[in-house]
Amino acid sequence: MDILTTNNLSVSYGNRKVLKDLSMNIMENKITAIIGPSGCGKSTLLTTLNLMIEENGGNFTGKIFFKDKDILSYEKDEIRRRIGMVFQKPTPFPFSIYKNLTYAPKYYGIKDRLKLNSIVEDTLRKVGLFDEINHDINTKATKLSGGQQQRLCIGRALTVEPEVLLLDEPCSQLDFKNTANIEDMLLKLSRDYTIVIVTHNLSQAKRISDYTAFILDGELIEYGETEEIFTNPKDNRTKEYIEGIYG
Amino acid sequence: MSEKIKDSLFKIWIILSTLLMFTVVIYIFGYIFKNGIASINMEFIFGDPKGIPIGSEGGIFPAIIGSLFLMIIACIFASILAISTAVYTVFYCRFKKIESIIHLIVQCMAGTPSIILGLFGYTLLVLYLGLGRSLLSAGLTLGIMIFPYIEVRVEKTLREIDKSIVESSYVLGISKAYTIFKLILPICKKDIISAITLAGGFAMGAAAPIILTGAVIFAPIPKSLSSPVMALPFHLYILTGEGISLEKAYGTALVLIMILLIINIISVVLNMRGREHS
Repeated sequence: MDILTTNNLSVSYGNRKVLKDLSMNIMENKITAIIGPSGCGKSTLLTTLNLMIEENGGNFTGKIFFKDKDILSYEKDEIRRRIGMVFQKPTPFPFSIYKNLTYAPKYYGIKDRLKLNSIVEDTLRKVGLFDEINHDINTKATKLSGGQQQRLCIGRALTVEPEVLLLDEPCSQLDFKNTANIEDMLLKLSRDYTIVIVTHNLSQAKRISDYTAFILDGELIEYGETEEIFTNPKDNRTKEYIEGIYG
Repeated sequence: MSEKIKDSLFKIWIILSTLLMFTVVIYIFGYIFKNGIASINMEFIFGDPKGIPIGSEGGIFPAIIGSLFLMIIACIFASILAISTAVYTVFYCRFKKIESIIHLIVQCMAGTPSIILGLFGYTLLVLYLGLGRSLLSAGLTLGIMIFPYIEVRVEKTLREIDKSIVESSYVLGISKAYTIFKLILPICKKDIISAITLAGGFAMGAAAPIILTGAVIFAPIPKSLSSPVMALPFHLYILTGEGISLEKAYGTALVLIMILLIINIISVVLNMRGREHS
């Protein structure tokens, strides 16, 4: 079943068109990878899906449907709560781990200390930080390693119970081990969440995603099951891109 | 002339300028210390001014407390307005034009001579609004004077925050107001407090804005916001201007300069600790 659908979606910043007539369905509880060369509009697609595009001075035409309802018929804040996002660079708040994870729940009215504690613990377990930080939830989040920071940020996005998680090259600044950590975690999370991940790393897309979309110069060239895209691309440009990186 | 000679001449010039400024500052401190230390004792710091003409004997306690009160009122008034203005320009203002108009106004305010601000305060607060010559009128006038200094520094701090941190709050579906109160201002807390203390020191040392709006030659420690008030810079001005007691004037100057020094040190320390964390 599809949870997010775009219909002839075009996005532009001023006069510059970044995405052209993009139509795709994103499947529920699956990992969808978006690949393509730098500047092709991958990140723009993500920021459009949670309406952050308007904050950055862009605008879109065409339709986006979230759970079969026009995305614009929801409140902007509600969309952003239900469609979470994690950036390329880890962005922990310069507070304690505990405060990072209770920041959003407190906003949504959870005041009970026990409830907050259990949110923190659950989240830390989900992102595999619970044992690593040795229960020391008062450590400053900026003191964690890059990989831990990124997992904390994913955790923070989970504290508001989203349905979709948008990840913008979450591993591009991390080493191999941390990347593997995050990939494992995403595979586990995909049972409960729909994940859309933008990545430069083709082997990453191949390893973890169920579906892959290839974007080139703002156009969706090919979209389908990951296996199909990587073994039997229909479009020549997809083939060249995939082979170009490998060869 | 070869580049090498030019280079060393330039170096000498820079070192000499620095030395000259250091000497001037140390000379001022030393001179005031040398002349003022004789009058400093418990009675001077904790006593009321006495003698005829008043101030020729006794102490300056009401002036110390008055100055501190003035500083607090000015800081509260100015920082509320300054932080709000800075938050508006950085996070809410969508038009470049309005932003530059705000900047222009703030710069003009910073450039306004303080005696003019004093006259303005006298006309608006003392006469028109009927607040009288009081702690409140003088404090508010000082607040107007330090507003631009706080605004500029707070705005700079707010602009320096990593934009992606602010965005990570928005992508949680969290409102701008909550983001500002619970994330942005706490992150900038130390820088903001440091800006306020520095501006507070500036307010404390100013005589011109309070001459017409509330400072008097003698008053007890103010009991309410509408009482007139003694202040260190004004007391100093009267002691020397009227030729009452040069010795007491140096003592007053020493006390004032020591308080300002302490305030500045606090501000620097806060600022340094703020840097460490970011």
